[in-house]
Amino acid sequence: MNTKSIEISTMEKGHSVWDKAWYKFKNDGMGKLGALIVLVYFIIALAVWFGFVGGNWSDTSDALSEGPSMKHWFGTNQIGQDIFARVIFSTKVAFEVGLVVAIFSTLLGSVLGSLSGYYSGTWVDSVILWLMGVLDSIPFYLFVAAVAYALKENPFAMHIAMISTFWTGTARVIRGEVIKLKGQEFVEAARSIGVVESRIIFKHITPNTSHILLVQATIVFVAAIKSEVILSFLGMGVKDGVSWGLMISESTLDIQAGYFNNFIASSMFMFVLVIAFNMFSDSMQDALDPKKVS
Amino acid sequence: MDVLKFAIRKLLGGIPLILGVTFIAFLLMVYFGPDLTYEKLGKNPTPEEIAEIRHQLGYDQPFLTRYGTYLKQLVTLDFGYADIRDLKVSDILKETMPVSLHLIIPGFILGNVIAVILALIAAYHRSSWVDKLIMTGSVIGMSISFLIVIIVFQLIFSSSYGLGWFPVRGWEVYDADGGIIWLEYLKYVTVPTLATVFVALGYNTRFYRAVLVEEMTKDHVRTAKAFGHGTKALLFKGVLKNAMVPIITRVMFSIPLVVVSGSLLIESYFGIPGVGKVTYDAILAGDQNILKAIVGLTAVLFVIVLLLTDILYRVFDPRVELK
Repeated sequence: MNTKSIEISTMEKGHSVWDKAWYKFKNDGMGKLGALIVLVYFIIALAVWFGFVGGNWSDTSDALSEGPSMKHWFGTNQIGQDIFARVIFSTKVAFEVGLVVAIFSTLLGSVLGSLSGYYSGTWVDSVILWLMGVLDSIPFYLFVAAVAYALKENPFAMHIAMISTFWTGTARVIRGEVIKLKGQEFVEAARSIGVVESRIIFKHITPNTSHILLVQATIVFVAAIKSEVILSFLGMGVKDGVSWGLMISESTLDIQAGYFNNFIASSMFMFVLVIAFNMFSDSMQDALDPKKVS
Repeated sequence: MDVLKFAIRKLLGGIPLILGVTFIAFLLMVYFGPDLTYEKLGKNPTPEEIAEIRHQLGYDQPFLTRYGTYLKQLVTLDFGYADIRDLKVSDILKETMPVSLHLIIPGFILGNVIAVILALIAAYHRSSWVDKLIMTGSVIGMSISFLIVIIVFQLIFSSSYGLGWFPVRGWEVYDADGGIIWLEYLKYVTVPTLATVFVALGYNTRFYRAVLVEEMTKDHVRTAKAFGHGTKALLFKGVLKNAMVPIITRVMFSIPLVVVSGSLLIESYFGIPGVGKVTYDAILAGDQNILKAIVGLTAVLFVIVLLLTDILYRVFDPRVELK
């Protein structure tokens, strides 16, 4: 650890946050392994998206609750569907949820966090802080249910509910960072030459928090995937199609009958992605967050 | 006296939060929520019957009046009758609250205490194999879904495929007078507690270790070390006591959400008749009276927790002023 930081400080080139981060990341074996696994999953998700694999996830056959074989790699479920195809297709569903929620809640969090930080102490800040407090105080499952009621079975109700609650974490971090940044010289310089405030905030200050936004986005991505599984299991998440949560939900019946293929396949697929993403996210935090003490 | 004044001011300061939570909940769940008219009517209702039911449900009144009624219910703690069971909402909550508390408290305490102990060990042996072992374990714990932990633990400890030591589901722990039978309680509470602790350890250990490591790198700890203070005194007086403020914050703020969100999955999976199970049933059935009560009371609980947290800060750090 110590030798590394000395190397970094004496490096000739690469003084930006990103160069340093790349240097640290290159030397982080766990982080690279995590990134590689996430990449493999992402390729699977893309392959499903373009229809190369997993398209037969809903086909039934006569092979009921069979064990793994050459034809059905992970066996079949109680109504003869191929578990491998379902697990692969669910990868796409998981990425959809993770990406949509991560992108939108990061956007929302960065905009509202920047505003509240720049105008800290004014009514704008109070209103945003109040909103964050309110959203954090509503029990998550109840909020998801409430959004689902209000949107009348809209398939994106779950996504919208997650976006509306997950942005607060990002916004709080960004708010703190912006409060620190707005006192610095470059902001004063921009102000003195008459740059309009909205431009100062979003062109000069917010881009300086992009490394934190990236880290926050990875955290939200993992949270979204994990929440999808529990919500779908409870019947409040993915309604049409298939997802790891729905597979685990149907597998609880299989388990009682003594068949474990469905459960093991879906939970292992999910576990490997989440742990890989956590490893990746950790190494990003080490590389990008100067405040983090490891 | 100062504390009392402070408490009153703090509770009044919580009113905007309660208003915000109840307003959003009311808007989404009730105003834009499902229309319950036809669920309450028999077959072939007459227009008068429909109007009568709509009046009972308050659909014919303006928005603000209906929201005002909700606030009045929250103040008087009288939320009317539930749909899913023919009981008053307040009676259902009175009946289920102790069940949830009995279920959650052991796991909540163990999950935090063990995590602080592990974090102290990890932080003290920072960067050594002990630290790496604990942190690897914590990342693995964080990565396994709560749902999977519950299912696997039930399989291992309760089912005939595993050890079969504990009952698979249910909650038969009270005797005829409502007293608790401790042996039965232990049987039913063990597996859910193990699952909760397992999941909590992952997140908590990581958080507490980060807090403790930050404290350990401060100058006063280095000075204490240089003066040759023993390990124990250093850890508990120099580090842990100073790190209590973030630890308290985390513990306290998880309380309101643990009561509903944390027990919802576990109670519905194990069939335990607590607040979480009632909430889940109410969500599925669209029982607005119960949902309104739960959301409103959680917000009130949050305000109380905010107050208690500030008072606890003062206990651990006398420099904090109650303002």
